[in-house]
Amino acid sequence: MTPSGRAWLLLGLIGYAILPWHLADLAPLANRYPAGEAGSGLGRALFGGAWWLLPIAAGLAVATVPVVARLDRDKAAAWLVAGGGFGLALLVVQGFVIGHNGWTTAWLAAWFGAPGPRQGGLGFGAALTALALLMLLCQGLADRGWCRGDAFVVSAIGLVVALIGLFVFFPVLRILVSAFQDNAGQFSFSEFAAKVLDRSIWGLDCLTSSLRCGVAWNTLFLAVLVGVGTTALGLAFALIATRTGFRYKGALRVLTVLPIITPPFVIGLALILLFGRSGALSALLYEWFDIPRSRWIYGLPGVLIAQLLAFTPIAFLVLIGVVQGISPSLEEASQTLRASRWTTFRTVSLPLMRPGLANAFLLGFVESMADFGNPLVLGGNFEVLSTKIFFAVVGAAHDQGRAAVLSLVLLGFTLAAFWVQYAWLGKRVYTTVTGKGDSGLLLPLPRRVAWLCYATAIPWAVFTFVVYAVILVGGFVRSMGRDYTPTLEHFLTGFRIEAGRHGLFLSGSAWDSFIATLKVAAMAAPLTAVIGLLTAYLMSRQSFAGRRAFEFGTMLSFAIPGTVVGVSYILAFNVPPVEITGTAFILVMCFVFRNMPVAVRSGIATLSQIDKSLDEASLTLGARSFATVRRVILPLLRPAVVASLVYSFVRAMTAVSAVIFLVSAEYNMATTYIVGRVEAGEFGLAIAYSCVLIVVMLIAILMIQLLVGERRLGRRTAPAPVGNVAVQAAG
Amino acid sequence: MKRLVVAAAMAVVLVSPGRAQETLTVYCSILEEQCRVGVAAFEKATGIKVSMVRKSTGETYAQLRAEANNPRADVWWGGPGDPHLQAAEEGLLAEYKSPKLAELHDWAVKHAEQSGWRTAGIYLGALGLGYNTKVLASRNIPEPKCWADLLDPRFKDEVQIADPNSSGTAYVMLASIVQLMGEDQGFAYLKALHKNVNQYTKSGAAPVKATALGETAVGIAFMHDMVTMILDGAPVKTVAPCEGTGYETGSVSIVKGAKNMEAARRFYDWTLSAEAQTLIGSGLKINWVPSNKAAATSPHAPKLSDIKLIAYDAAKYGSSAERTRLLKKWDAEVKALPK
Amino acid sequence: MTKSPASVEFRSVTKRYGSVTAVDDISFTIEPGSLVTLLGPSGCGKTTTLRLIAGLEMASSGRILIGGKDVTRLSAAERDVSMVFQSYALFPHLSVLENVAYGPTVQGLPKHRAREMALEKLALVGLQGLERRSPSELSGGQQQRVAVARALVLEPQVLLFDEPLSNLDAKLRRRVRDDIRELQKRLNLTVAYVTHDQEEALAVSDRIIVMSDGRIAQSGTPRQLYEEPANLFVADFIGDANLVDGVVVEERGERALVRIDGITIEVPRRGAGLGPVRLAVRPTAVLLQRTGPGRQAVEGRIAKAAYLGKHAEYLVASPMGELFAIDRADGPLLEEGAPVWISLADREVAIVPSAEG
Repeated sequence: MTPSGRAWLLLGLIGYAILPWHLADLAPLANRYPAGEAGSGLGRALFGGAWWLLPIAAGLAVATVPVVARLDRDKAAAWLVAGGGFGLALLVVQGFVIGHNGWTTAWLAAWFGAPGPRQGGLGFGAALTALALLMLLCQGLADRGWCRGDAFVVSAIGLVVALIGLFVFFPVLRILVSAFQDNAGQFSFSEFAAKVLDRSIWGLDCLTSSLRCGVAWNTLFLAVLVGVGTTALGLAFALIATRTGFRYKGALRVLTVLPIITPPFVIGLALILLFGRSGALSALLYEWFDIPRSRWIYGLPGVLIAQLLAFTPIAFLVLIGVVQGISPSLEEASQTLRASRWTTFRTVSLPLMRPGLANAFLLGFVESMADFGNPLVLGGNFEVLSTKIFFAVVGAAHDQGRAAVLSLVLLGFTLAAFWVQYAWLGKRVYTTVTGKGDSGLLLPLPRRVAWLCYATAIPWAVFTFVVYAVILVGGFVRSMGRDYTPTLEHFLTGFRIEAGRHGLFLSGSAWDSFIATLKVAAMAAPLTAVIGLLTAYLMSRQSFAGRRAFEFGTMLSFAIPGTVVGVSYILAFNVPPVEITGTAFILVMCFVFRNMPVAVRSGIATLSQIDKSLDEASLTLGARSFATVRRVILPLLRPAVVASLVYSFVRAMTAVSAVIFLVSAEYNMATTYIVGRVEAGEFGLAIAYSCVLIVVMLIAILMIQLLVGERRLGRRTAPAPVGNVAVQAAG
Repeated sequence: MKRLVVAAAMAVVLVSPGRAQETLTVYCSILEEQCRVGVAAFEKATGIKVSMVRKSTGETYAQLRAEANNPRADVWWGGPGDPHLQAAEEGLLAEYKSPKLAELHDWAVKHAEQSGWRTAGIYLGALGLGYNTKVLASRNIPEPKCWADLLDPRFKDEVQIADPNSSGTAYVMLASIVQLMGEDQGFAYLKALHKNVNQYTKSGAAPVKATALGETAVGIAFMHDMVTMILDGAPVKTVAPCEGTGYETGSVSIVKGAKNMEAARRFYDWTLSAEAQTLIGSGLKINWVPSNKAAATSPHAPKLSDIKLIAYDAAKYGSSAERTRLLKKWDAEVKALPK
Repeated sequence: MTKSPASVEFRSVTKRYGSVTAVDDISFTIEPGSLVTLLGPSGCGKTTTLRLIAGLEMASSGRILIGGKDVTRLSAAERDVSMVFQSYALFPHLSVLENVAYGPTVQGLPKHRAREMALEKLALVGLQGLERRSPSELSGGQQQRVAVARALVLEPQVLLFDEPLSNLDAKLRRRVRDDIRELQKRLNLTVAYVTHDQEEALAVSDRIIVMSDGRIAQSGTPRQLYEEPANLFVADFIGDANLVDGVVVEERGERALVRIDGITIEVPRRGAGLGPVRLAVRPTAVLLQRTGPGRQAVEGRIAKAAYLGKHAEYLVASPMGELFAIDRADGPLLEEGAPVWISLADREVAIVPSAEG
């Protein structure tokens, strides 16, 4: 047995015999340890009446055999696999069948008599034991030759699979089950069918009459518009940035990053303050041109504009890479064949951008589907699935089953979009970046394309600028739209610091949520990066059975709208065995698994540029996989590390829909606080808080860049990684 | 191994807080500021540490339901009476007959009785009309006084109400209209009003803001919320409809299975006290009507004597079945109508 | 070199990827201190075999022994084997010195010791003074030598080369090839070398293992392979060969008299009996003459001619089929379409055993 195997065994024994098995307060240990409530697994099993914990010891015992007896490698491995697998299975089963109120399933209660034994959520001891058993199992499998006998790889796969199973599949399963249940918890297929086929979802009345169409069509329509719009605008920006001599590219860059780090609601809010009936711009138009004030912004137009503002940068970031990547010699080849610049653009450049265009569209589409803040603020009578789901859960109807059904519809759309993109791009190869130097010059744009780009992009950039000006001004005036007296009042309300008797005292009302948010984001970001990049490494560098399912799992949590994730987490994690609601842990895990796909995507993208023989060279030089990852892969992955850190940090600061259910007294999040302010009509404070968040995120991004550093390749300098941040958002 | 230690340390940091037994957990559904001031005062008065989270009524109710098997909260403080009653009906709330009930107005006691002593009223907020005087003046529309005035074609696209599916406030209005006019008449009224409604907002408070900003001429909401805007300098007036109006009974409840029952009861009693209600009501310029007879009412609060309150049957209209039926009917007969 | 070189032994090793069998039940032994080349067209399984030695692939069945020790289940990091990659696989984020010192560093040796070892090996390959450069600042040949130095630094029992010359230009190729052979002999290393270039294989190897479709087609010394190809595949792959039909007309002990279209020559019999056989005729064994036959000859016509400086290449249409001929004679070039008389040399014509076809 390897030293690390022994270490895991030891940890497993510690977890089982010494640490408290269940989640309990650690403060008054005296009479509750080792057999009482805070007792260790062993203590509770032997003296505390928790007999069901005893068989787990058998798993550990079996895994100990190879240490005691001298066995050859294969036999020892078999013992490890048996012990680890058996122990882990028992641990999981007992956790699920015995809950707070006895048996958790009716047939167990019927068989063994109700209520049965009781126990709380699993604690540190159980967690450590489970981890150790899993690692022993993986060690054994590696010794049996899995994954080229690489224990690190097998353990990493085991760990990631376990985590994805626990934090993605398990909650999703819970919400799916509830789609088939009525409000009383009984399974009812007829009700499910009725809900799925409901007229309010699929109705097409708007085509034939003045009635409204189903919410599914609304959502789809909006998403397609947003997808097309963001792709077109993004392409215009990308072409200007790469193919023209436009002078203010720097400013363009800033404008494209800002919306990504803007908390939700804020853009919608700014639009109301500008275009609402009493908005600043509407007032001007009314006074100068006598254009009547109207409420056109509420509904499809408003949501569309807000989403275009918010998601165009993502399309831009996707497309700029693609546009840059088109090999100039291909275009030169076209020109030597006597094609005009326009023909070249139309027949060579544009088709080569196809994967980028498809990706940009897909991102816009999916982001629009999942967006919750803008339709909430600007939707008016235009309803979309994400808000419907939210109000199915929290609204007056309180219909969880309906929420689950709507989530299924939304999920169906998202997955279908992924599938269509896959089918459209097919297996054609679009690689134009090769290792060979390309000495060609980038072709300037044909004039009509250039003008078209300027005509769309510049007004849009100005518009974005105005929106942000409104946001900035809104934080510093008494009441935007009514009273423009300059004031710092909003910042003071939120972030006042007073000198008290015991030094400085943070008396502003926003401090609690602000600090909690920073804490959670700071914990979630590195975890996301680690787990995401590890997953990327496994997916692109290792082959193992079930890799596709694995990949699907990592994408799933991204495709599911946040509201659904929030509800499913509560359903899944409020009861034993994994009872973590109300802690920061659940928030961190929620962020980690929602944002992980981005880390995975950017990791895979970067890894695919790194020759696989580099890892192999390291392996043959005696570095084990872990050392290889640390010394070779990680330094070369720096752009991906930065991208995933930045993205997960920013998302943890700005996400709202998932966490609105998960925040607790101790861990309130900045966004939920801002939503509350908006609800209460304190727009000023909400905007001021958002400004602070934007500044904090900018600082954090700079710090991440500084800490992780640039990738040293000796040759070309890699383009700014922040650019890639959102690129892989859903890609 | 180093990684492991770090991970373990992280786990300890993550999971340990918030589990100490002495802390009382309160889900608060009134304004953030009220929650904070109230909790601070209670902590000071009793020495019991309170951990409070503010969420809207709907969110809190959804969370209580999700946590039913293992309640996290001890007390649910604030929010309209209907969801409290519904939670009581579903067995999410604990029964408790507070000694303070004696100090309360009749309507609050009746509310508690209807719930089977699982909730109690802490304030009363009457439903009313709010209108932006500037907008009305510029359009030459007379100020509305009654529900019936809102059917005037000049109000076309000028009335804003929340969607009762998502807002408790709007459900109170739906139930009030039905009780006031009878179900058929009531729905006929709502259908007629539909032509003048510019938007069914998600949140019950949205029409208040929209009215204050002039985004709509008239908003239907709780009068005390309108008064807040008036005090903030918005060109808004509020009026109780002449035909009579419904109201919400802001409630407080103890969560069934609360881990700190003793402290929860003390908090419950405290929220019913005159001192507490004065503090978070008129003390913070909140203009509702407190349930404790001895509590001071804000001078700006709508006078109950000026308002014709209907006998709101919370037991009937707060029940799940009736609620679902009315909402379905409203969806099908009102909301789906063409404009 | 303190360690003595080790042998490599494959015992019925098979490697499957799903339903595809990349390496099919092969067995061979590489003697300590020898350079063995795995030769074959792309997709024949030679690189997979090399990776199986390195531990970068795990055998589906069979056993692999290095220095007599079973390493079948050991991971790459646990085997005392180093590899020079086709792409060199130099770490772009490390300097030349750091690249070479990588092995000792991850083994946990102290920094100065790792540095010492690296400098020693860099000197060995003649790269003193370039330690601080980054790999991308070196020429192709220099990068290749860094890769060799890095592979040597841990003084492995076995050194593997995966097409090490494929990224070099033709001139450099010959020099580096000689350098590798020289180094191998001087340090007495066990080397397994993969290439698809038969000339390269013939030049550097002690033994060659020719692979085809995941199996070993033939193994032996370069000379054996060239002169006694075991089958048509080997005959064709090692040096060019014209495959012609002939008839054994007489057995003369170890030799046989073969008639090919009116030409009779004596060649090693290689177990062939009386009757039809196939023969591999090397291009240099096809003798072309302008004038009438001085010896047994058949008439043919030049289909194509190319002048290559040191020799001329011809494609000749003949009754034996189209023949590829190399003429070292320094006479004037034969023009296309000109009639020629074709005869065959006694050497460089071999009967190909038909069983393996």
